[in-house]
Amino acid sequence: MSAQILMDHTGDTRHFFDADDAAALTEAEERFKRLTGRGFTAAVRTDRGEVTKVTSFDPAAEETLFFPRLVGG
Amino acid sequence: MFLVRQIRRIRFRYRKYCGPNNPEARGQRLLRDWLSTSQRKQFDTNKYFDVIGCNTGKTYRIYYDRVMNVCELDEAGRPKMGWCFFPKGYFVAGDVMLAQKIALETFEADALKVAERFPPSARTGQDQGRATRDARAGRP
Repeated sequence: MSAQILMDHTGDTRHFFDADDAAALTEAEERFKRLTGRGFTAAVRTDRGEVTKVTSFDPAAEETLFFPRLVGG
Repeated sequence: MFLVRQIRRIRFRYRKYCGPNNPEARGQRLLRDWLSTSQRKQFDTNKYFDVIGCNTGKTYRIYYDRVMNVCELDEAGRPKMGWCFFPKGYFVAGDVMLAQKIALETFEADALKVAERFPPSARTGQDQGRATRDARAGRP
């Protein structure tokens, strides 16, 4: 089961999907495009625990994390 | 009936904000999941962890807080400059720290472009104040 993790005021909201299910994959890709289109940063973890920023949907990613654009304060 | 409703309401709020699944705890769990082994160890011990900027190779220390919690370190490991930036909106400390870690490790230059600088002494002052309050309250 893959997951898209969206940071929010509750800590996070997780959307799980089966990467072998075409419909679920399409929905996950649409969510990815919608969030990155709104300025969210998407990041995935590699097997070695390194974090990478991604700009296109990776169907093989086990976990993709989204957070809104950064601001200074 | 009124009393039962009140008790249910209090129980619901307690679970939401004070239980093991409250936003603060969820944020910390997510952060710990995404930290490297050495960062996790450092965070568990000190409530902060260090990251290396992807563009400059500089070391930044991210403290457990939501604002004014990133310090650039000098070669001796002393705070040199404070950087204040965070994801837009309300987020718990764990989430803010994770966003800051990812930003510095993957798009450092862009993250610092939006950040406000602050003297690191402001951060040190906060830490000292917290340590004094903890000592007075008998907390370790």
